Amino acid sequence: MGNKRSQYLMFWVVAAVIFLFFFLKYVSPVVFQVLMGKGHPMPTPSTLMMWYMIMGILAGLVYATTSNQKFVDFLGFLLPGQGTFLKFFLQKIFFIAFPLVVGWFVYSYSLPGAASPVELRIQHPTLPQKYEKMENPFREKDADIQRKCIEEGKVLFQTYCRPCHGSKADGNGPFANSFRLRPINFQDPGTIATVVDNYLFWRIKEGGPGLPSESTPWDSAMPAWDGDLEDEQMWKIIMGEYDTAGVMPRQREKAE
Amino acid sequence: MIKLFKNKVVNFGLIVFSVVAFYKIEAVNAQASHMFRTYKHEVPQKLPENQNAVADGKKVYEKRCWYCHGITGGGNGPAAKTMFPKPRNFTRNEFKVRSTPFGSVPTDEDLFRIITSGIEGTAMPFWNTISETERWQVVYYLKTFNEQFKKDTSPEVLSVGNVVATQESIEKGRELFKEMKCYNCHGEDGRGNGPLTVAMQTQWNMPYRARDLTQSWNFKGGNTAGDIYRTISTGFNETPMGSYKDKLTDEERWSLAHYVESISKKMASDVVVKVKLLESGEMPGNPADEAWGQVTPMEIPLAGQIIAHPRLWEPSVDSVMIRGLYNDDEIAFLVEWDDRTNRQEDIFRDAVSLQFPAKIPDSLKKPYFGMGDSGGIVNLWQWKAYWNEGFGSVAEAPGSEPGSIMELNAKGFKKISVQPPEGQDVTGGGVYVNGRWKVVFKRALKTEDEKKDIQFEIGKLIPIAFAAWDGSNSDAGGQKSISAWYYILLEKPMPKTVFVYVLIAVVMGASVELWFLARLRRFPPKLEEDQE
Repeated sequence: MGNKRSQYLMFWVVAAVIFLFFFLKYVSPVVFQVLMGKGHPMPTPSTLMMWYMIMGILAGLVYATTSNQKFVDFLGFLLPGQGTFLKFFLQKIFFIAFPLVVGWFVYSYSLPGAASPVELRIQHPTLPQKYEKMENPFREKDADIQRKCIEEGKVLFQTYCRPCHGSKADGNGPFANSFRLRPINFQDPGTIATVVDNYLFWRIKEGGPGLPSESTPWDSAMPAWDGDLEDEQMWKIIMGEYDTAGVMPRQREKAE
Repeated sequence: MIKLFKNKVVNFGLIVFSVVAFYKIEAVNAQASHMFRTYKHEVPQKLPENQNAVADGKKVYEKRCWYCHGITGGGNGPAAKTMFPKPRNFTRNEFKVRSTPFGSVPTDEDLFRIITSGIEGTAMPFWNTISETERWQVVYYLKTFNEQFKKDTSPEVLSVGNVVATQESIEKGRELFKEMKCYNCHGEDGRGNGPLTVAMQTQWNMPYRARDLTQSWNFKGGNTAGDIYRTISTGFNETPMGSYKDKLTDEERWSLAHYVESISKKMASDVVVKVKLLESGEMPGNPADEAWGQVTPMEIPLAGQIIAHPRLWEPSVDSVMIRGLYNDDEIAFLVEWDDRTNRQEDIFRDAVSLQFPAKIPDSLKKPYFGMGDSGGIVNLWQWKAYWNEGFGSVAEAPGSEPGSIMELNAKGFKKISVQPPEGQDVTGGGVYVNGRWKVVFKRALKTEDEKKDIQFEIGKLIPIAFAAWDGSNSDAGGQKSISAWYYILLEKPMPKTVFVYVLIAVVMGASVELWFLARLRRFPPKLEEDQE
């Protein structure tokens, strides 16, 4: 074992953890900005950050305890004696920094809270029974009529849905910033591509107010279009919406 | 061995604690918003312009663009009716963002940049989601709508370059802003409220609105000094914004751009409005009070109310700025927003409203954000600009009249009731200065009517939502700009005990450390047990 190096084992572990923190905080947002071609940095979400830090620290501890030799070296850093001046200096820094760091944590904990509230909600509530059996009347028509319905639906979508959901159905319409529950991005494969037409029909017809309470209807800006749009128009909008977003409805399992 | 294990546990515990603390700090700083489209300057290698490219461009256009811009490029697609500003009419030469002289058509690169970047404050999305090839094709196709593209084949292209702003150049720009009479349209403080703009909007009903130069997010074609320099140099075709290339030298145009950049700001938005404790002095009852200077303002983006009929598809107020102060007895809010005019007309009056749940929710459940619902009643504080029928059909709210404040309750937008005169507890008033309304609301923290009035509590997150009306945009009733639920938080003053806690923590930290070190020194970890 290279004794000379392992004298600083604890220092290296702590340095690695600090490095990890700064990497997640400042470097990774820029890396992801470049990778994903965004015009702005992509900050690491705080929960993700917490888990990465826990993993990082655990990894450091696991490494330091892989052998008794290592663990002795790890703690040995804190022992006095036969070290260089650098080691002596780092020891003192650790010694002073530890209580200060603890004090700082307590201070930041007891500052008057300003954290955003936790707002949990279920994004995909279950479809109410009365919508389950419905069928889009235009899906079974011949190709020409379908094409016409899609085109009519797209016009309606661009007129009524575009302000929030955007011309591209990507949830980036000019009104999108104002609603903290951002309008849904239909291009996202986790949204309308995972449901069938009926589900969208329910959402368009009853809107935010028709949501069950676990889906926080009071925060949803989705209008209930019942009364303002005809059912036929809604079915057409759905067809146009899938086409605009470039995704397909989930395929129904074939009933025998 | 046991000792070693014990030490490990201690160490581990401390480290887990520190991670949890990291997490806490992160949660506070996590609010980062990148809400707006940015103008992208880079342009890739051009595609050859030929019949095939135009034919392919037609397909792209008729799949994605025509709904707004129209099948023949006239800017009159079927969806255009729910838009303001209206989509570009390609058959006319009304192209705005150009690097070519005033009156010329834009270059292919200019069109490519706009298609890639989109235009904030309008319905134009950013099309960097389709391939570069498709974007070039559609550029070539839309050029076929206008004959002028064939005539202006090699226009003189402005090269922008980069000149760094200095205190001097900004000062010079400020003088030029006066000298060139920019304020005639853009207003003295740059809020787009100049007398010409007001006349065009209200008397002649023309669609031109001078840019509000304080809101950098709405600048067309980018908000860097270079972008502003380009706009000053080339102007916007078919608008009152002409080219200043012949009226100002290159250096002067840069100075003016630096000045405009210096008065523009970014939108500072967040989720929680922190209401600050006013340590001394009276609660401010008017917008000019110096006490407001202590509070960091926050901005809330607004959208047209399109949830229920009658809808507002073309909102004119896109954000409000909010500050809050409280003391032992009272709470006050200052709400500000830009409005190009101060014209009031019959039912169309400038107004703003704050919405709270009538009772602070105990659980996640809140009343519906759009005026409450049958299960959740909301308390509304509404201010309306002054208007007097004696003034004639259109009048400017006089500066001496602070407007009127009403307290209402609602259980859904169809069930709105004004509180009786004895229940009206909110005071305050508004003032219109240089294109900006500033309105103060003030009320006691607690009132007698606990069923209808929100009772403020310190340290609790209280939902708040906003609405604003622009009379000259014919906003009235349900036709208004609205926000979702945000929160206010009456900040607890920093308790003196915090420092005691910190001291205790430091002492405890130090003791644990000393104990740990002492133990470590007394029983230094050795390898003998294993080696022997």
